Amino acid sequence: MLLLLKLLILSNENCLNKDRTIRLAKSKGSYGITFNAMASPCEVIIQSTDKQLAAKLGDIIATEVWRIEDKYSRYNQRSVCSVINNNAGHCVAIDEETYLLLNFAEQCYQLSDGLFDISSGVLRKTWSFQGVQSSQGDNDNFPTEAQVKQNLMSVGWRKIDFDQNQIRLANGMEIDFGGIGKEYAVDRAVILAKQLTNSPVLVNLGGDLAVTSSRLHNEPWQVAIEHPDTDSNLTDMIISLKMGALATSGDARRFLIHDGKRYSHILNAKTGWPINEAPRSITVVAPQCIQAGILATLALLQGTQAEQFLEDQEIKFWARR
Amino acid sequence: MKKNIKLVLFIPLIIGATGCANLGVEPWERDLLAKDEMSLNASPIDVALDDHIYFSKEASSGGKGFGGGGCGCN
Amino acid sequence: MKTKTKTKTEKTNIKAALTLATAALLGTSNLAQANTVSTDSAQESTWEFDSAFLFYSEVDRVSAGEAIFNAKKTFANDEILNLKLTVDALTGASASGAVAQPEVQTFTRPSGKGQYDIAAGEVPLDDTFQDTRVQLNAQWTQPIAPNYTASGGVHISKEYDYLSLGINGNLAFDFDRKNSTFSAGFSFFQDTFTPEGGIPKPFSSMLIGDSSSPTWDNDFTETRIGSEDTKTTIDILLGFTQVINRRMITQFNYSYSMVDGYLTDPFKIISVVNGSTGLTQDNIYESRPDSRVKQSIYAQSLYHFDSTVLDVSYRYMWDDWEITSHTLDTRFRIPLGDSFGTESYIQPHFRFYQQSAAEFYQPFLIDGDALPTYASADYRIGEMTTFTVGLKYGLLVNNGHDLSFRLEYYRQTPTDAGFDEPGALQEVDLYPTIDAIIAQITYSF
Repeated sequence: MLLLLKLLILSNENCLNKDRTIRLAKSKGSYGITFNAMASPCEVIIQSTDKQLAAKLGDIIATEVWRIEDKYSRYNQRSVCSVINNNAGHCVAIDEETYLLLNFAEQCYQLSDGLFDISSGVLRKTWSFQGVQSSQGDNDNFPTEAQVKQNLMSVGWRKIDFDQNQIRLANGMEIDFGGIGKEYAVDRAVILAKQLTNSPVLVNLGGDLAVTSSRLHNEPWQVAIEHPDTDSNLTDMIISLKMGALATSGDARRFLIHDGKRYSHILNAKTGWPINEAPRSITVVAPQCIQAGILATLALLQGTQAEQFLEDQEIKFWARR
Repeated sequence: MKKNIKLVLFIPLIIGATGCANLGVEPWERDLLAKDEMSLNASPIDVALDDHIYFSKEASSGGKGFGGGGCGCN
Repeated sequence: MKTKTKTKTEKTNIKAALTLATAALLGTSNLAQANTVSTDSAQESTWEFDSAFLFYSEVDRVSAGEAIFNAKKTFANDEILNLKLTVDALTGASASGAVAQPEVQTFTRPSGKGQYDIAAGEVPLDDTFQDTRVQLNAQWTQPIAPNYTASGGVHISKEYDYLSLGINGNLAFDFDRKNSTFSAGFSFFQDTFTPEGGIPKPFSSMLIGDSSSPTWDNDFTETRIGSEDTKTTIDILLGFTQVINRRMITQFNYSYSMVDGYLTDPFKIISVVNGSTGLTQDNIYESRPDSRVKQSIYAQSLYHFDSTVLDVSYRYMWDDWEITSHTLDTRFRIPLGDSFGTESYIQPHFRFYQQSAAEFYQPFLIDGDALPTYASADYRIGEMTTFTVGLKYGLLVNNGHDLSFRLEYYRQTPTDAGFDEPGALQEVDLYPTIDAIIAQITYSF
């Protein structure tokens, strides 16, 4: 029996969806748990007929995902992320989990030669990507060179000081875990699922997903990637996943049109401008979701070289231009 | 009246036969269809018990399917 | 899908570096491999059980209780074993086929051992029907090739005077992303009937007298032609299932059935009445043809609204006894959420049925007229309309086990198939309506 899911690349940054209900639905041979988190529809599928187990799993995973959201979302004023940002210029105490995440972000910064920088979040003040395809010409929100240069002053991983116990941002800086938060949550969810049960589980948080194992009888999970043009009749891609994770990065819903040109929402942290000629969407397979996510983002940051970058690394991916 | 009923219920068959290419869903659109209550033989126990009653009290039987060995009330 | 094997460039191996970084973040023991051969998670094949008890009761007539226990086991590779045990018990009175009269009537029990009286104006009912039946079914289903599923099963059913043995086989073929399915199936049944009192001679008169008299047994045997008889049934079913869209699925079936052998009901009689007074002169045993060919077409649709599900089906049946019937059945499932019990729902049910009389159906015979080849006064092959209304309520209990209750009202209304009623027959009810209650409780675990 093939079970397919549809991935939706949703973005609604301003939607503070505080609906914290967990829904349980039975299908043939499996249970599906759905809930909302990180402004995305989240889904956990467990191939088991044990309802109690499914409910418990859903509970554990939803709780963990919401915990990570509450702790690292920049939209939550009480999150660790917000506290760090609101106290830029001062030392803020951090715990081990935050330290490990910052460490990971540091490694990504180095691996990408500075293109991936979680302090680039401030650049969004210059840009406003609503996904509006205005036929009346330019978006009003298209900034000038000067504006971008100004904002770039507040970006730069090198300006951040941190160690195992505390962190200090330079004044006016902000960090944003958005680039790794969801994928991290997926990996954490998979760890918790494996601790709880041997049944095959798939965790899908708004398009970033991972599985604990192949489905019963060594069947792969079938995953469908939506075509970036949601209104196109082109068939979506179907990927067979036996193990590991999938993450998709792309501009399907968030982009800007200016002078007839399409600008992705992925910004080059060094120049402050959107990456040019990046693929519309890249899906990467990797052992962990966070790896897949970083690789997809790093690829997009290469712009025209996106596919070449991934091929050089012998990473399995699918790109749509 | 009886002829009309037959026609109304078998028009879908004709439409289906000619327009079959457009019918159906992609495998990932089976969320609702996978539910127990959307099975063509949901509640097989109820159906088996009812079939036994109606076979004993009326002149018609079967026509729906065999599944589970059928009623065997013939 | 692009995965080109190229020689690695001198660029830092990002993949390896990321793997290390991820290990640091998530903890090395938690790392997985991507896309490699996965461990074959040996899923313990679980049993699913269903148990149900049904109570059926007609006002002043037959009552029956039926219990079902079903066990289903799904193995690796989608193989399914289904075992079912059914036990039912019947008691109460059934119409014998004789007509009511303005005076008291006396009839002999089918076994020949004893008589019973029917009050004036009352429809004659024979209350000697008490029987218990046990039935076993076993069905095995398995995929035999991609998109091909085969199923086969056996059936055995035994009651005091009846033995039924059967086998069935079915092949289904899925295509178009499993949106369409063709299926073909057959079943074969061999039944043996050993009625108490033996098989009556067709159209012979029912012996009325005193069962204890010394000549009784001899006289009674004169009216019998044997102690048992058999019947063979062959069914062929062709089906086509089609998913219409995300919310709707439909099914169309055609079935052809041939029954050969003893099809008469040895307990049923027909009254021979005087053509002008309408008074019964004699009661004779009925006789039906020794073969019957039935065909039916069936259509069913399921539609899922926002949360409710509608199930509508229609069946048209016709046979060579000239019986035609229409069956319209509809169920509407309304989920109630958790307010009336965990994941509770109610499901109203309505069924409408209408049949025309068999060609040889006669509510009575006229004394002096030539005997037809076949005749039966059994209202169940006469002209009749029935309807059923019911409600089912279900919820989850314990560890997500299904519990449901069903209560239905079933009304059978035999109608006049166009026979003139002479004399006294105009004063009595020739086509009594029968009301019944159906109550069922089901528990799955």
